[in-house]
Amino acid sequence: MKPAHLIGSVALACLAASACAETAIVLNSGDENVSLIDTSSYKETGRIPACKEPHHLMATPDDSAVIVACAISNELVFFDPRTGQEQKRVKNISDPYQLGFSPDKKWFVANSLRLDRVDLYKAADFSLVARVPAAKTPSHMAFDKASQYVFVTLQESDEILAIDLKTQQPVWKMSVGPTPAGIYMTPDDKYLLVAIMGADYVEVIDWRARKSVKKITTDKAAHNFLARGDGRHVFVSNRSMKGSISLVDTQTLSEVEQYDVPGGPDDMELRADGKELWATARFARKVQVLDLQQKTVSRSIPVGRSPHGVFFLKHAARQ
Amino acid sequence: MMDWLGELFISTQGWLFDTLVQPLLFAIGLASYAEMGFDGIEFVLLGVVELGTAFLLLRPLEAMWPAEQWAERRAVRVDVLYALLNRLGVIPLAVFLLLAPGFSELEGWMRFHDVIPHQLEDWLPALDHHPLASFLIYLVILDFAEYWRHRLSHTWRWWWALHGIHHSQRQMSFWTDSRNHLLDDLIAGFWFACLSLLIGVPPGHFLGLLIALRLVENLSHTNTRLTFGRIGERLIVGPRYHRWHHALDLPANPRFRYGCNFAILLPVWDILFGTLYLRDDIPPTGIHEKTPAEFAARDAFWAQQKLGLQQFARALFRRNDAPRST
Repeated sequence: MKPAHLIGSVALACLAASACAETAIVLNSGDENVSLIDTSSYKETGRIPACKEPHHLMATPDDSAVIVACAISNELVFFDPRTGQEQKRVKNISDPYQLGFSPDKKWFVANSLRLDRVDLYKAADFSLVARVPAAKTPSHMAFDKASQYVFVTLQESDEILAIDLKTQQPVWKMSVGPTPAGIYMTPDDKYLLVAIMGADYVEVIDWRARKSVKKITTDKAAHNFLARGDGRHVFVSNRSMKGSISLVDTQTLSEVEQYDVPGGPDDMELRADGKELWATARFARKVQVLDLQQKTVSRSIPVGRSPHGVFFLKHAARQ
Repeated sequence: MMDWLGELFISTQGWLFDTLVQPLLFAIGLASYAEMGFDGIEFVLLGVVELGTAFLLLRPLEAMWPAEQWAERRAVRVDVLYALLNRLGVIPLAVFLLLAPGFSELEGWMRFHDVIPHQLEDWLPALDHHPLASFLIYLVILDFAEYWRHRLSHTWRWWWALHGIHHSQRQMSFWTDSRNHLLDDLIAGFWFACLSLLIGVPPGHFLGLLIALRLVENLSHTNTRLTFGRIGERLIVGPRYHRWHHALDLPANPRFRYGCNFAILLPVWDILFGTLYLRDDIPPTGIHEKTPAEFAARDAFWAQQKLGLQQFARALFRRNDAPRST
């Protein structure tokens, strides 16, 4: 083989390898660092320092960065979603816990769970527009399709709060079940699904009528949502030590499947081909990989303390 | 081996969470505190491991190489009770429940008014990327703050009224580390919470910092003749060094009228601030009791708590009373 061909072959092989190898980013909220996992070998390839209490993450709308919310160190840390390396830090974002971009990409919203507040920032430059009091313990968030409202669960007061993004004012609150955590807008924009962590069900809210219309029983400590990407189904993590993940049909509003996922499954990420669901096992210091064809946990990847957010670039659609 | 121990620790923590803590939190409508409950179990388990390690390492040292020989150890029992209440999380939980709501309100108010206190990493951004350096710097700062808390608890009469309980033990052993008046524990918690608010102690470092300080404190109270030598004693606080802090009779120099050797971990603070006192001999420990109530409180938990409060009130309201230590 001529040297030029050899070099070309090696380069192609490297390109192919780097295309195959992908990095999953896992936030070890109790260790102040981020685990990087090779999604091909399921091995942790490194642990890089992040910040104080990195809990949740969110990709920028153009997927050029993963933003990590650092609750105690009052900052956002941006990571390259391909390599997991740090890109930059945005300081003076007060106590960010859960993050979200409005569908129209104009708003960046940060919940301060610890300090009872929702902050509304311009998504373009992360400049603060308004601080909205939100007692008690604003946890997760969801938006309507028109980006008129952000809906926030208030964990300790057992309520949902709706904030009008145009006026930046709270417009209504309603009571739901005990300790609401995750919140998800159904793809048809009709219902809010609320994971009732203090019980074992998902509460279905007709948000326009501000009425609870159904309870979908899942499992103890219903906690968080992730869309299956088919525009119809959504996964619900049930975060007890025994643990499970439910699959809920948003059209029939019923649970269709449930999988055992021990260790306190919390945040989730789904492969683009829909075959594997990754879930941080909060209490087991692991990432559980759920094989959705075999319907069992196929791998447990050890990570740091209290793993929370998880992300990889080649994920399924968010609805 | 370490992996196996780690797995055992995590599964024990998970089992306690699933069978005890989570059902309790759900039953009383506090599911929101599940994560905190889980972390609390870790705190308690680490306390048990730390105390167990101290017992296995330090008790033989006390038996084989004691600083003082005691005919009987009854006086140590109350210190064991303090240690268990502390390491099993009873006192820390009470302190947390009393202080957390107020500090949370204060911090919430500050943030809402755009007051975001600077943290150490704002001055030293490199710490964001060097966790070991970060841990060591926080340890030094924490130890510095502890030096001053400790020194002031000897200097201010009202505080000494409480802290004197810790010094009233004449049979000082590694268990004595936790022997503190409950109000003194609350003030120590307040001190730490203020420091946290000012510099932002990383929660991930917290347990490590606590264990490092606790182990050294257990060792420094141990009833043993062990010394770290002339150089070592200036680098880290050891049993002889701290025994002079607990000496029944303070050194005659007026410089030491409130005490000496206040450092918890690093003697450098005593060296810098003129409170270092080193000698080759080993003094008896305790305080000179003056009243029947003080004698009665030597070995009894509730009597100590009552006495501390009485002395505290007297120190606050009757300014001419002499300090107990003199």
